[in-house]
Amino acid sequence: MRRLSVPYLLGFTGAAWLILFFLIPLIAGLIVSLMSGDVASGYRLTWNWSIYSDIFVNSNVNYALFLGRSLFYGATATLLTIVIGYPLAYFIAFRVSPRWKTPLLFLVLISFLISFVIRTKMWVFLLGAQGPIISFLQSIHLAGPDFAVLGTPGAVIGGQTYNDLAYMVLPIYVALERIDTRLFEATEDLYGTKRAVFFKTILPLSRSGIFSGILIVFIDTVGDPVNAALLGGRNTYNFGEAIQYAYLNLQQYNVAAALSTVLMIALGIILFVYARVFGTENIEDLV
Amino acid sequence: MTSGENINPETIRGLTQSRVSRRMFMKGAGAVAGAGALSALLAACGVTGTNPSGANPTGGNASGGTDWTSWWASKKQNGVLNFANWPYYIDTDSNGKHASLEAFTKKTGIKVNYKEVIQDDPSYYAKISPLLTKGQSIGQDIIVITDGWYLTEIINNGWAVQLDHSRMPNFTANADRSLLSPSYDPGALHSAVWQTGLTGLAYNSKKVPEGITSFADLLDPKYAGHIGLFSDNTEYGSMALLATGAQTATSTHDDWNKAVEWLNKLKPSVAKFYDQGYTDALQNGDIWISQAWSGDVYQMQQGGHPEIKFVLPTEGVITWHDNMLIPITAENPVDAITWMNYYYTPETAGIIEDYDAYICPVPAAKDYILNTLKDPAVANSPLVFPSAADLAKAQEYYTYKNLADYNAWNALFDPVAQS
Amino acid sequence: MTEPRPVSPAASDAAISIKGVSRRFGDAVAVQYVDLDLARGEFFALLGPSGCGKTTTLRMVGGFELPSTGAIYLEGKDVTTLPPYKRDVNTVFQSYALFPHLTVMENTAFGLRRKGVGKAEAAARAGEYLELVGLAGFDKRRPSQLSGGQQQRVALARALVNHPKVLLLDEPMGALDAKIRKTMQHELKRIQREVGITFLYVTHDQAEAMSMADRLAVMNSGLIEDMGAPQRVYDRPATQFVAEFLGTCNVLPIIVDGAGARLPDGNPLVIDGVAAPTEPGWKVGIRPEKLELTPANRAASGANRTTATVTEVTYLGASTEARLATPWGGELQAYRQNTAETVIRPGDQVEVSWHAAQAFLLPPTPTAIATDEEVAA
Repeated sequence: MRRLSVPYLLGFTGAAWLILFFLIPLIAGLIVSLMSGDVASGYRLTWNWSIYSDIFVNSNVNYALFLGRSLFYGATATLLTIVIGYPLAYFIAFRVSPRWKTPLLFLVLISFLISFVIRTKMWVFLLGAQGPIISFLQSIHLAGPDFAVLGTPGAVIGGQTYNDLAYMVLPIYVALERIDTRLFEATEDLYGTKRAVFFKTILPLSRSGIFSGILIVFIDTVGDPVNAALLGGRNTYNFGEAIQYAYLNLQQYNVAAALSTVLMIALGIILFVYARVFGTENIEDLV
Repeated sequence: MTSGENINPETIRGLTQSRVSRRMFMKGAGAVAGAGALSALLAACGVTGTNPSGANPTGGNASGGTDWTSWWASKKQNGVLNFANWPYYIDTDSNGKHASLEAFTKKTGIKVNYKEVIQDDPSYYAKISPLLTKGQSIGQDIIVITDGWYLTEIINNGWAVQLDHSRMPNFTANADRSLLSPSYDPGALHSAVWQTGLTGLAYNSKKVPEGITSFADLLDPKYAGHIGLFSDNTEYGSMALLATGAQTATSTHDDWNKAVEWLNKLKPSVAKFYDQGYTDALQNGDIWISQAWSGDVYQMQQGGHPEIKFVLPTEGVITWHDNMLIPITAENPVDAITWMNYYYTPETAGIIEDYDAYICPVPAAKDYILNTLKDPAVANSPLVFPSAADLAKAQEYYTYKNLADYNAWNALFDPVAQS
Repeated sequence: MTEPRPVSPAASDAAISIKGVSRRFGDAVAVQYVDLDLARGEFFALLGPSGCGKTTTLRMVGGFELPSTGAIYLEGKDVTTLPPYKRDVNTVFQSYALFPHLTVMENTAFGLRRKGVGKAEAAARAGEYLELVGLAGFDKRRPSQLSGGQQQRVALARALVNHPKVLLLDEPMGALDAKIRKTMQHELKRIQREVGITFLYVTHDQAEAMSMADRLAVMNSGLIEDMGAPQRVYDRPATQFVAEFLGTCNVLPIIVDGAGARLPDGNPLVIDGVAAPTEPGWKVGIRPEKLELTPANRAASGANRTTATVTEVTYLGASTEARLATPWGGELQAYRQNTAETVIRPGDQVEVSWHAAQAFLLPPTPTAIATDEEVAA
């Protein structure tokens, strides 16, 4: 069997991982969503497609609102990670000497060494009504006595932005780092100002990094229940929390699976449209 | 993402107070449960029901067919006890040793494998129910479950051994009288209370100097936006039943509807429904008034926050119990019931209560804590040893009749917090 | 470092005037007091080994480096401190630096678009230049889909389409293999004649420089050592470095006395139009192809000749290379066309002679700049 050589084996292994880690969970989720029953008598596959209309039309809980909220929080947080993360990545890639790059990247990553929950809880402390930030703002009369950050959508979006910033910085940094810096001279040589160097050369060439970052951050933040649970309030209940509640508290596995599937499809459609609009066209034609 | 189980307890302690109640921890773990999710999903795929097909499906007297006298007679002591409990729920010294368990071993020769494996009721139930359905051992001889839907399910499914009270004279003699026949387990046939707690209100007296006395006070517009409730629908639902004058145990669906109406009136004033962290929020002034567990308030007060006050509202207060059960498949039931009997002494209950600071099921432990352990802070606290008058105001959670009943409750109350 | 030379104003008819330009990087001096004028439409090559400062000079003209001293004029206008995008100069980079995210057409139209030329017009003009470089029909390709030679043509079109006052070429053939290089040299020369734009061409390849350039300058250690028409620089190099850099060269020591210059064996040395040096240390250079070999069995006597022994003969097809040992222990190299009736073999005694016009004197230490005018004077 000389034909069954290394490339074939690698290809086979890759396909096996894909099936094991991506296809099976996908199908399993879909199947569970089509079951009916309850935790006491068990769940049986009944091809109950109506669950998808039930959760949006007939439900006493407003899942559509939570989905909208999640998408809005996720999109805003993603945009913010770009606005903050891009200059950060740019600075590390182009504005510091090579020997500082590793320490600075490590600094970006170091927050990952602290538990995500603990990190977020720190913000609960910092942003609390008697916490240092609001106390300071109140002491200089920039904030009134009833000013609050915790419990607002801003706090949730802020937490998501903070927690996912590195996911945006790293792919952008990698994309920037790969750019041949001689292209900057070429741009200037061809009458491109410093502005054109950025918008016509650096930005389009780092687009792949931004795209990867958006993919990771958007997916992560839209589905995330933790920031909303810790930093949010009564009006920030989101889709991730609803899935978790259906799953852990109510043990309505079919509802939880259906909600997850809806979320996955919504994300899929949004990212597909995004990829079609921004992925294949040139940014030059859009700017 | 980090699952709750991976959080170093030392870190948690550093972040909060000297002691962390198991209830605070439980909700934290639930909020970020990721590790448990996969096993539950797999369970969901296999998906057998939790009602054993052969067992009596009507519930209530599922174990009625068993001759418990001869069942107990056929068991003997094995010298081993596997004990599953919640984190931070037993006396623990700085070396991680449990004096109460060591004394038990010394006296009875029974070696105790104590595991803090229960993070919250739903996920633990999801973990053990497939095994119990098949009649397989879950590896534990005692488990601790809160009164509520899952406890009811376990008893109705016949998964809890009926206790032989002749083997636990200390329970009969020393347990608080109200625990001899709780509403969720008449005659305490299957359960023995480990700890009791109250769900009342707490407020920060720096923010609310005038104090509050009732649930009705929550509707005062000056507190709007500064009120916290628990996110658990059993907690805020039960509160609303009391607030609208209903008796939880006998409440009807009409009462539930009225309670939801009351909650919807209150909702605009609510800042947040808390999974966890309400104690920090109260201390930090993020909220002024919150639903609260008595044990948490005791620990806040001991932890340097005397401004946090606990209120037994005039309309009543909810009491809940975490209960020791012996699973039907337990390998060492005699060792288990021996421990239960041993626990119900002023000494053992006192040692454990001095650490836990919830409400002790053995009232006589008060003297032991005061005179022998010399800890008047615990012994004299009305939060740990509440007066008879206070306890008279307490009502247990509503006990669900069946799954439809439970689903009806969820369908009514869930939209309050999920909005 | 000596005093900076005074900067004279630019010759207004020059495409570029580089006046006393130096560039230091820390303690290192990359370029020293370079003076250079390029006439309009001229193909000028800047030649030298790597690290000689030629690329730095080019980058200063392009605006990518600032001179430490001196000034650069573009058609009489001082552009010394202007950023690259404000100079009517374009560059063909050694790596081509094509934009990987743009098509061939977009790459070519890039400069025009930045100058505000409308999209349609830019495309039309870019199309013309792509045709000029032989890439019509490649508009939609990406650089990564092109061969090295094609990429170079795009780089050329991309620069030329802007009609720069000067086109800078930084080793543009460096990445091409020998065969394509030859074709591209002809192509480049043709295009340069067609568009009539001044080319400043940096290379380390002397054959390339000599075959294409109207004039060339040879740089060494930041200094221009010689500058002039390729033939003049080849035939009468100003320094030993230049002589040896531009092909092979026999360098012989000479003896200077009252009577004039002599070879080490005592035979007189006569060079047309040049007075014999009066100080010691001078040398004489003669190209190998200028040596004539005739069989001899006695010591040669007379001007511009000596006797030598053949040590090695290498047949090269069109010619034969011979290595010779001189009586004073030196070595000579000679090329003979394979048309001679006589054949030489190792061990043969030969008389080596050359024409008085074909040798040149080399000064003892390299001094900067001997221009055509000075040589002619």
